[in-house]
Amino acid sequence: MDAALLEQMLLGALLALSVYLPLRCGQLSLATPGFYAVGGYVAALLSTGVPAFAGSGATSPLPALLAEMVLGGALAGLIALAIGGPVLRLRGIYLAIATIALVEILRVLNLNLPFTGGAMGIFGIPQPFAHAEGYVLFTLALLALACWLCQRLEALRLGRAMAAIRDDELAAACVGIDTPRTKLIAFVASAVLAGVTGALAAHFFNSWNARAGSFDASITTLAFVVFGGSRLWPGPVLGGLVLTALPELLRPVGDLRLILFGAVILLGPLFFPQGLVTAERLHWLAARLGRGRHRGRQAPQAP
Amino acid sequence: MSVGRLLGVGTGLLTLTLLAGCATDPGSQPVDVAGGVPVGAVLALTGNANVYGQDQKIGLELALQHRNGAGGINGNPLKLALEDSGSDEPGANAAFTLQINRGVLALIGPTLSQQAFSADPIAQRRGVPVVAPSNTATGIPEIGFFISRVSAQSSVIAPLAIERALKIQPGLKRAAVFYAQDDAYSTAETTIFQKALKEKGLDPVTVQRTQLNDQDFQNQISAALREKPDLIVLSLQAVDGGNLIRQLRELGYKGLIVAGNGMNTPNIYPICQKYCDGLLIAQAYSPELDTPANMAFLKAFQAAKGGAIPPQLTAQAYTALQVIGDALVRLDKRQPLKGATLTAARKALMEEILAGTYATPLGEIRFTPEGEVIQTQFFVAQVRMDPGGRSGRFALLK
Repeated sequence: MDAALLEQMLLGALLALSVYLPLRCGQLSLATPGFYAVGGYVAALLSTGVPAFAGSGATSPLPALLAEMVLGGALAGLIALAIGGPVLRLRGIYLAIATIALVEILRVLNLNLPFTGGAMGIFGIPQPFAHAEGYVLFTLALLALACWLCQRLEALRLGRAMAAIRDDELAAACVGIDTPRTKLIAFVASAVLAGVTGALAAHFFNSWNARAGSFDASITTLAFVVFGGSRLWPGPVLGGLVLTALPELLRPVGDLRLILFGAVILLGPLFFPQGLVTAERLHWLAARLGRGRHRGRQAPQAP
Repeated sequence: MSVGRLLGVGTGLLTLTLLAGCATDPGSQPVDVAGGVPVGAVLALTGNANVYGQDQKIGLELALQHRNGAGGINGNPLKLALEDSGSDEPGANAAFTLQINRGVLALIGPTLSQQAFSADPIAQRRGVPVVAPSNTATGIPEIGFFISRVSAQSSVIAPLAIERALKIQPGLKRAAVFYAQDDAYSTAETTIFQKALKEKGLDPVTVQRTQLNDQDFQNQISAALREKPDLIVLSLQAVDGGNLIRQLRELGYKGLIVAGNGMNTPNIYPICQKYCDGLLIAQAYSPELDTPANMAFLKAFQAAKGGAIPPQLTAQAYTALQVIGDALVRLDKRQPLKGATLTAARKALMEEILAGTYATPLGEIRFTPEGEVIQTQFFVAQVRMDPGGRSGRFALLK
């Protein structure tokens, strides 16, 4: 497997986590690609337009990349904060439609703003890493951080409040959870993660245009979560990794590869309606592995 | 073991597997010519640009047959690996990387200009020659030393169709322009069309924007028809353009239509059927060109496709592989490929490509030092559909 594909898989996993965060709070938001595009534009504009970020033109310094990721995440977060209030009053399918509209508005803006390069977008984005392996290590660190935060969320008051809202919003409000605030936090966190990922992806893809944030991308990222499972964070990560890699790994099949890919997406939810990763399966796996370890540890005590 | 620890261990294992899988750069290895001289192609065989990829694939196959029939690269056959890029940028990036890691000496593709802006920098960074068979947007060879193209850019070709329309109907006054605002090719070509219209004193009465994936153009067409245009100029790709022409005629437009390079393929026939008739498109290729190179290509194409006339995209793809083949033959004679490192061979091949003059189906071509094609003859064709509207031909206008 080559590093460029790995990098795309890791970016897919990050985007899947961004869709997962609002879902963890029971909110079906499809806005991830919109924020991803915003983050990418921030990085693309800064690194092609501002000398301090551009480096030598071909290679750009690593601190500049970090700064772009912070700025891209911040801008995406601010947009989410500004629109989150009214948008999150909507629920279920209506929220999904509103977030699709948001993605579409951002896309048309990106196509028509005077500085975003129109349909051609921005190209010749300088590279912070000479090889794809550099991107892989960096993105892996970012993914590990995101996963760790998601795992921490399970133990935090905020995470439990989010789970409570997912299970029953009315009941959660009755026990004193500030539901609008919690939902807004989840939405903003999702936007920040998508923005940060976009800033990194813009460098990796060399060019950035409005197609990064399209309706198609919304559906693809949603498929990651549906396929992998939306209850626990390893689900979206697995979904993002597998579904990004599959079309490439199926190349030896030739012309049939996209048909097979479609069949996998179709059969996944059919046989695993909760997604591939569920709490039961994880516990089962943990128990099997744990028993093996346990036995190994007890062995010396035997007479 | 708790679920949390299990996840930790899982992530660690994943990391290790991923890192262990990382490939090493084959650039310092010698060129692997054991199974033939390796060349790669990346075409859009799926997605909305697949109509172009199909035409190009035939061109590559014919050129490969021709080269290997004539002794390959000094006795060693040329080996072509073809990969699908889909019609988007990540697909093109992935296919380019895959081909480069395989150790190809040169790449042909990608099909769309938009993909080229994303994938070509990868080849440029890794020092792999690219000969683009169909990128017409401004700025492609400027991506770097290793990027060249055999497809003349739209700024050279597009204005010819407007000139021809004025020759057919000198009284034209009111031009309407359509383009897909989310497509790099469309937006690049429409600026050239609009400039050409202004130079002829035909300020567009309306400019309508569409989207690449649109199916229904009733709104834009109604708005345009209110302005009573007598010439319509389209910069659209084959699928959306074909649908737009169909709806345009159905809504009663009777005047001339000029289309750009995006519709320059017989694969539009099934989309707009009888309504394709009369469409004017400038051509970088003429099947009637009477040179030995073109006659050989024409004969091979007609033998393979039951007497059909080859489209421009096929001729250009054929030319791209021919250019690489010819350059490889010359390079191999001067300094044998066997034993050279991949990086050195790729660089020498690029220099050889740029230095040569080629007798191709497109006529005699050569390159500027940037890699832009220098081609002398261009043509304008008009689509003539058969009475049933199922098939037709591109008739060259004299």
